[in-house]
Amino acid sequence: MTQTTSAPPVTWSPPAPQVAPPSGGGQTLQPAPLPQSSIQRWFAGTPGRMRALLIVSAVVTVLFGFAASQGFRQSDGALKRAEENTAQLVRIQAIHTNLVSANADATNAFLVGGLEPPAQRQSFVESMTTAAKLISQASTAQPADQEALGALNTTLLTYQGLIEQARANNRQGLPIGAQYLKDANAVLQTDSLPLLNALVTANEKRVDTEFKAVGGGNTWLLLGGLATLLVLAYTMWWLAKRTHRYLNFPITAAAVLVLLTILVGSSALSGASNSAKDTMDHSYKDTVALARARIAAYDAKSNESLTLIARGSGESYEKAWGESAATVGKNLAISTARQPQVPWTRYTNVHREIRELDTVGRWDEAVQLAVGSGANTSTGLFSQFEATSSSSLARISSEARGELTAAREDLPPIGWLGIPIGIVAALLVGWGLSQRLEEYR
Amino acid sequence: MKKTGLIVASLALLFVATSCGTDPYEATPVPTKATPAPPGPAPIPAAENCKPGPLASYRPEGPLPTPGNMPVGSKMAEIAAQGRLIAGVSADSLHLGSRNPITGAIEGFDIDMIREVARAIFGDPNKVELRVISSPQRIPVLKNRPERGGIDIVARNMTINCARWKEIAFSAEYYRSGQKVLVQRDSTARSLADLSGKTICAPAGSTSLENLRKLYPEVTPITADTDTGCLVLFQQGKAYGITGDDTVLAGEAAQDPYAKVIQAPPFSAEPYGLAMNARDVDFVRFVNGVLEQMKADGRWKASYDKWLAADLGPAPAPPKPVYGRG
Repeated sequence: MTQTTSAPPVTWSPPAPQVAPPSGGGQTLQPAPLPQSSIQRWFAGTPGRMRALLIVSAVVTVLFGFAASQGFRQSDGALKRAEENTAQLVRIQAIHTNLVSANADATNAFLVGGLEPPAQRQSFVESMTTAAKLISQASTAQPADQEALGALNTTLLTYQGLIEQARANNRQGLPIGAQYLKDANAVLQTDSLPLLNALVTANEKRVDTEFKAVGGGNTWLLLGGLATLLVLAYTMWWLAKRTHRYLNFPITAAAVLVLLTILVGSSALSGASNSAKDTMDHSYKDTVALARARIAAYDAKSNESLTLIARGSGESYEKAWGESAATVGKNLAISTARQPQVPWTRYTNVHREIRELDTVGRWDEAVQLAVGSGANTSTGLFSQFEATSSSSLARISSEARGELTAAREDLPPIGWLGIPIGIVAALLVGWGLSQRLEEYR
Repeated sequence: MKKTGLIVASLALLFVATSCGTDPYEATPVPTKATPAPPGPAPIPAAENCKPGPLASYRPEGPLPTPGNMPVGSKMAEIAAQGRLIAGVSADSLHLGSRNPITGAIEGFDIDMIREVARAIFGDPNKVELRVISSPQRIPVLKNRPERGGIDIVARNMTINCARWKEIAFSAEYYRSGQKVLVQRDSTARSLADLSGKTICAPAGSTSLENLRKLYPEVTPITADTDTGCLVLFQQGKAYGITGDDTVLAGEAAQDPYAKVIQAPPFSAEPYGLAMNARDVDFVRFVNGVLEQMKADGRWKASYDKWLAADLGPAPAPPKPVYGRG
């Protein structure tokens, strides 16, 4: 701290001018050797071949490290994207579910007019709010979906505007309210749902692509590994031939290291690929099926209200109900969730009762059975289905995502260890070959 | 030196080769919506030379049978056996046939006609099943067989004309309406002639649309499925005005304080009839008998006063029935 000396160290000496590189006009100097000839000389003869082999083997082993790392990062990325795309698909299906659920509430309002039950109104508002939040989340999560989600948002503004106008008119007892509701329903069916279907298709395709890409990382590892082993084997064979020493330990160690990396890495990657396939065939399939069942179920419920609104001339809606109900049945059969099946079957039975009542002209009783709030009415049983299927879906979809996360976490850290492994192997090769090179000094 | 240079170069190459693995996805395609085709050219109007004249219906045969005692083998006996009269009606034409949002019941002048027919068959005006149908559905549902959604009678502000007589049968006239125009309250137009180039709405498949195309081809027509559908288009500014029967327009103006019906004389006569299947001649005669009674004993006027007088003025004399068909 008190040291104030700034004198140079004793060993320091000013540069000697005579050591300066020769300037342009030195005729006395030998002509400088051409770089080509120097390289040629460096690679000439047995030591030259050794040097060449050293370079090739070292480069190939380092490249192997990169290939292994790349393969792992590719598989890991595919798993991560599969998980993200699954989450996005679940989100899109949740948007779809919330919209058809809101619409089921709204069509029910046709039947009750201005006397909208507060619980039903609240359920409508909640569904629309949830859908709006999910749309904004979904468009952050997947930029490729932004345009379609923006278009969807626009249709929902129109939809909700029409619904509110319908309510205002219904509140005044004006028949035009029903027309606004009808138009709102038409906007949802003809404008919003095709967008949602496009979103679902696009995301299903993405999930599919990523699930299939999980195994792709193995190609990098195996091809890179095979090439490296061939090069190392050739190097060892050549060395054995030239130096009459059969085993070069450092190079053998490098080959064993590469082989181990291939074995461990490849089995880990096929394991991840298998567990991804397993997830795709089971919990993912289950998630998609149950979500589809729910969407079709809300559609069926809306159509039930529409048949009653049409008072006897609603065959087309009843046909649509049948189609939706068949979709629900088909998807519930695929899904492993058991709890939603009982309320769904009971709901379809009540629906048949409603149709029978309407067909024989007992419309008022049919409406009562449809919109009443008891546990054995259509609405009551439907909300049981709603609750059980919702909790089952939450469980299954988190299972699917959990499995994908676990598959990623189980991968050995070759993604970032790959390059160090390659470098270590290259150093071993270099060491092994320079031992022999020494002998030529 | 050279070795490391080589390695660095190879590494750089590898980085370039592998860094393109994170392509963003293709954007989700936004489905394009097919724009609805504009309404086609006006259909060729049917020749107006039907023999006894469009208003002529089937004359009632003697006094009406007492309720509950319908002649064996008649359509009325079939309806009695079915337990209710199935009628196609409108649920959104205020004061003619509209659903009361408070009670949920469908009510109006047209509905009263149906209930009186039910009273004549069953002795009970409530033995009816009202099926809500749109304008373009009126003729198809009458021609359908009962098991395929066919119905007994239509009371949905339906104009009697020769073209329709070719497919279905009408009762005698029960109300004489006329076509008018509804516009925004501040409009200075005095008739459709002042609305050239404007978009005017009329329900698809209605005589109002035919008349509009025939008489005012310079007006741009736009269609909706129902009269109320036209009112929605009007309120959304997609239609400048609505043309239709004065009864319907009165009901629409009653729902929108910013709409008015142009008070020019109607530019067409729209005689309303109850429509039935062309085969059910006995039923048409029976319904004509019911209408005659209603017009004579004041039930017709009572219904008019209840639903239409406020908008259309005091009750005119009920239309005189014209017979001579069959």
